[in-house]
Amino acid sequence: MDWHILGQQIINGLTLGSIYGLIAIGYTMVYGIIGMINFAHGDVYMVSAYLMAITLAVIHFFGIDSVFFALLLTLAVTMALTGLYGWSIERVAYRPLRGSTRLAPLISAIGISLLLQNYVQISQGARVQGIPTLIEGTIRFGSGEDFVQIKYVQVLILVASLACMAGLSWLIGGTNLGRQCRAVQQDRKMAAILGVNTDRIISLVFVIGAVMAAVAGVLVTLNYGSFDFYVGFVTGIKAFTAAVLGGIGSLPGAMLGGLILGLLESLFSGFVNTDYKDVFSFAVLVGVLIFKPSGLLGRPEVEKV
Amino acid sequence: MMRKSLQRMFAVSALAGAVALSAGTALAADVIKIGVAGPHTGANAAFGEQLWVGAVQAAADINAAGGVNGKKIEVIKADDACEPKQAVAVANRLVDQDKVDAIVGHFCSSSTIPATEIYAEADKLAITPASTNPKVTERGLPTVFRTCGRDDQQGVVAADFILKTLKAKKVAVIHDKDTYGQGLADAMKAAAGKQGVKEVLYEGLTRGEKDFNALATKIKASGADAVYFGGLHSEAGPLVRQLREQGMNAPFISGDGIVDEAFVTAAGGPQYAKGVYMTFGADPRKLPSSKAVVDELQKKGLKSEGYVLYSYAATQAIAEAIKATKSTKGSELAKWLKSHTVKTVMGDKAWDAKGDLKVSDYVMYQWDDKGKYAELPTK
Amino acid sequence: MRAKVHEPIDFGHALRDALVTGVLTLLVLGPVTNLVLDGYAITAELLRGPLIVNGIGLALVVALGRFVVAVGVQTPAGRDLLTRFGQKGAHGVTVETAADNDWHRVLRPLVIGGALSLLLLVLSRFGLMDVQRAAALVLIVLFVVLGQGLGSLRRRGQSSPWRILVPLLFVAGLVLPLLFNAWGLFPKTWIGNLILALIYVLLGLGLNIVVGLAGLLDLGFVAFYAVGAYFLALGAQYFGIGFWTALLCAPILAACCGAVLGFPVLRMHGDYLAIVTLGFGEIIRLILNNWLEVTGGPNGAPAPGPSLFGLEFGRVARGEGNTPFHEFFGLEYSADYKFLFIYLVLFVVVAAMIRFITRLRAMPMGRAWEALREDEIACRSLGINHVVVKLTAFMMGAMTGGIAGVFFATYQGFVNPTSFNFFESVLILAIVVLGGMGSTLGVIIAALVLTLLPEVLRDFADYRVLLFGALMVLMMIWRPRGLIRPKRPAFAPKGA
Repeated sequence: MDWHILGQQIINGLTLGSIYGLIAIGYTMVYGIIGMINFAHGDVYMVSAYLMAITLAVIHFFGIDSVFFALLLTLAVTMALTGLYGWSIERVAYRPLRGSTRLAPLISAIGISLLLQNYVQISQGARVQGIPTLIEGTIRFGSGEDFVQIKYVQVLILVASLACMAGLSWLIGGTNLGRQCRAVQQDRKMAAILGVNTDRIISLVFVIGAVMAAVAGVLVTLNYGSFDFYVGFVTGIKAFTAAVLGGIGSLPGAMLGGLILGLLESLFSGFVNTDYKDVFSFAVLVGVLIFKPSGLLGRPEVEKV
Repeated sequence: MMRKSLQRMFAVSALAGAVALSAGTALAADVIKIGVAGPHTGANAAFGEQLWVGAVQAAADINAAGGVNGKKIEVIKADDACEPKQAVAVANRLVDQDKVDAIVGHFCSSSTIPATEIYAEADKLAITPASTNPKVTERGLPTVFRTCGRDDQQGVVAADFILKTLKAKKVAVIHDKDTYGQGLADAMKAAAGKQGVKEVLYEGLTRGEKDFNALATKIKASGADAVYFGGLHSEAGPLVRQLREQGMNAPFISGDGIVDEAFVTAAGGPQYAKGVYMTFGADPRKLPSSKAVVDELQKKGLKSEGYVLYSYAATQAIAEAIKATKSTKGSELAKWLKSHTVKTVMGDKAWDAKGDLKVSDYVMYQWDDKGKYAELPTK
Repeated sequence: MRAKVHEPIDFGHALRDALVTGVLTLLVLGPVTNLVLDGYAITAELLRGPLIVNGIGLALVVALGRFVVAVGVQTPAGRDLLTRFGQKGAHGVTVETAADNDWHRVLRPLVIGGALSLLLLVLSRFGLMDVQRAAALVLIVLFVVLGQGLGSLRRRGQSSPWRILVPLLFVAGLVLPLLFNAWGLFPKTWIGNLILALIYVLLGLGLNIVVGLAGLLDLGFVAFYAVGAYFLALGAQYFGIGFWTALLCAPILAACCGAVLGFPVLRMHGDYLAIVTLGFGEIIRLILNNWLEVTGGPNGAPAPGPSLFGLEFGRVARGEGNTPFHEFFGLEYSADYKFLFIYLVLFVVVAAMIRFITRLRAMPMGRAWEALREDEIACRSLGINHVVVKLTAFMMGAMTGGIAGVFFATYQGFVNPTSFNFFESVLILAIVVLGGMGSTLGVIIAALVLTLLPEVLRDFADYRVLLFGALMVLMMIWRPRGLIRPKRPAFAPKGA
């Protein structure tokens, strides 16, 4: 085996995986707190890619040429707007259904997913959209034809997702807000009795998920340069798979699941067969769940009588 | 009680809505209705738009010139989302409900194949401007035509170019696991095989994904000196970009699925798209016959890229056939089309007994560093 | 004199509410709609039409609406309305009573259905409605009423009006389409639409066993649908089996698949089960797509049409020694016959399935499903073998899915993997949830609505799927527990 190919595939896998991980956070947090699979999350990620391109174009229009400031501003605006999306979707489509059957919000989410996809398609057109390449350059290890390379954007993806993870872990683990989140996750009724504003916390979780999706959206768009209204679907399913693989409801699990899924896909595709890459990922998922029914890092379910 | 009556109100208003809807479908006797079927939702919606723009413009131009035998052409949009199930439903609807006289469409070969069965049964002429899969015309349906070429012809041209002009020895063949993409890749593979070259890699990627880095690394590791891709621009763009980013500069060749300026956007800019080759019919935009139409579309802010002119030509062929035969029976129109030459926006076109173009003129194109494509000069 | 004190309406508050909502709407919708990406630049389209894609316009509308509502709820009338809406109905399941089988109760759906049909016919008579659409709707109404009849359980020995009505309706359901078609009211489009609708009724019924009755969330139900469809297509290709053989064998095969897939996953709970089934569904679809040599890959495979005692419905017979249907009867060829025939067979099968499932629910197995859904641990303590019970539910569901697949393949004449994607599973699940989990009648209505709605919405062209999504959300908000609340059959002994 050529080591440089293996190395390259691992880098490919890690980048892909950290994107899955970032999106998986949205699934896992929402699931953890209200036990609902938020099918519209993939499309929130898709919307964030559009918002990013639009913001970038507006910033460019106002003549800010420094790539660094433009990116920083774009990131901030995209995160804010996408967060708003998360908030409004929860407010409009899920909150009225709280306390009803478990599957009602699921169907509502599917409706929102269709709505977002088609709304963006109608208003922005069905064409593939893109942004110019902002960050170029790679770091190469090795010489001649046999090298392992990592693009600056890929470095940025890895660093940013690690930073997001760290920030989020601190937010959930170390702050008062995080404590409230965990309280609501464990027992919503009890938390409400103890004075936690559960509605606000649930909204917050949706916002956090959407913001993470926005980070992913910005990074992915920087890396691949193009997107269309359909990207949310495939990526959404993959990220969701990642969330389950890691143990749905667990934050580090989402990241771990994402990385593992990315690596598996990349290595299988690179060394075995691209056609059956997704079959393999799903087979691994099924296998893991059969032997460890609550995912890799998920808390085992306690059967209460 | 209040709640009850509210529910009733809902029901009544829903019913009223349904009534209002159905009242809208009025019948008009002296128009010729042409259904334009293509994807208007879903991942391929951009192509459906191209078909629609072309047909609408053709209808407008024909109507402005007095219509067909004094009748105006009316075009009816139909969305199949490139899904066979919807294609069948839409085909039935066009035939039974909209009572169209002929059909321009569909786009995806996987939709055209089941839909044309229905048109053939209803004896309606169907001309697809874009479905290049051989199966479309190979099933012996008498009323199915196309204004584009076939994948096997396209594959041969591509294989010739790759092996003779580029002198490649190791070809990696990638496809998108879809009827069109895989058909095209297989055609090219077969054509290359006949010349004694076996591909070094033959793999399918998943439509809708954007990350093909793993595949790109694999292609690079295979040592291929040419990459052939059967698929559409939304996947071709990211693939070519990721290949180039990984330092893989072997020529990238694809088919008419990437004929859309969105390919450049999908690739992340002309710096990645430049140098990519593709097979496509001789550029209809360059023909003297298409100049007026191209300018007219330009004036409206529309592009005459991709299949727009193919769809225009299909509409023209239908109109000509109806004008000559004074009939809307598919079999009569088909008979006429198979024995006559039609002057279209794309030049004179004639069809063989299967409904394929007699002369299909696939040539090689190359994308330049400004994000435009141009025919390669033949040596 | 009212004793209530009229508080002055707080316009300032309403204005602030309206402003906040408007700004939020603007922020959410404005960028995506009013700034259109064009290459790497944007064009600002501030006065864009139609209204639905103009964020600024929508923000104004929403703000105005919010203001009206905010003022409205401060008026006494508005407050009354609000309190009425605030009262939620009782949750949970109602149990059928003996009175449910009274003439009075039975007559209600009949009268409503009859009146609706009459209304439709009158409307179409006066040209207010498309005649074909009206005819199709009459058939739908008929089917729903029949479904209600088939789905209501009678106790042994008890006389019920349904006993007379159901056979009548059943015969009407078989005869009317033929008559309508002969009169030219029931063209192929509508036969096709109704066939699809009934296929989804079947799928909904199948998934309803798994999700609604046994409480196992299955997101990969489409796998069994695919098994049925591909069984017919590939069976015909390789072994020369026909429609009828497939109709008998496919459910068995699908049930076996259900057992094989179900066995390892059934010890999982709730949502994990959902993901594993999702995974299986995707795996089956991907294999169908990738295994080119056998399945034809994305090109799909042709599926044979049905035959009636060796009579085929094509223009010319394909099988050796077979005569086409129209030649045998000396009719002129029409593609309608094939679809009509499929419709009639499907009608019989769906009716039989509804009855079958209704009976099943009253049997120990069906009751065990529902008990298991309510409390697994209690059931296990009482000695119910939960794996076997779950497995039967899984197999029953898979079987129904397999039957639906056979009909789909023969109707379409062609199968390919795009018909069996994840979205299809989701649509079937939406049918079950929208219908009211566990309610047979609800599933029937929801299946009809969800499959026919996109066809009706085709008149809105580009906004079709958008509206479909919006309606899904609205329906869920309006009726979170589904259209029809499930009724549990009563098991009390006679006279109790």
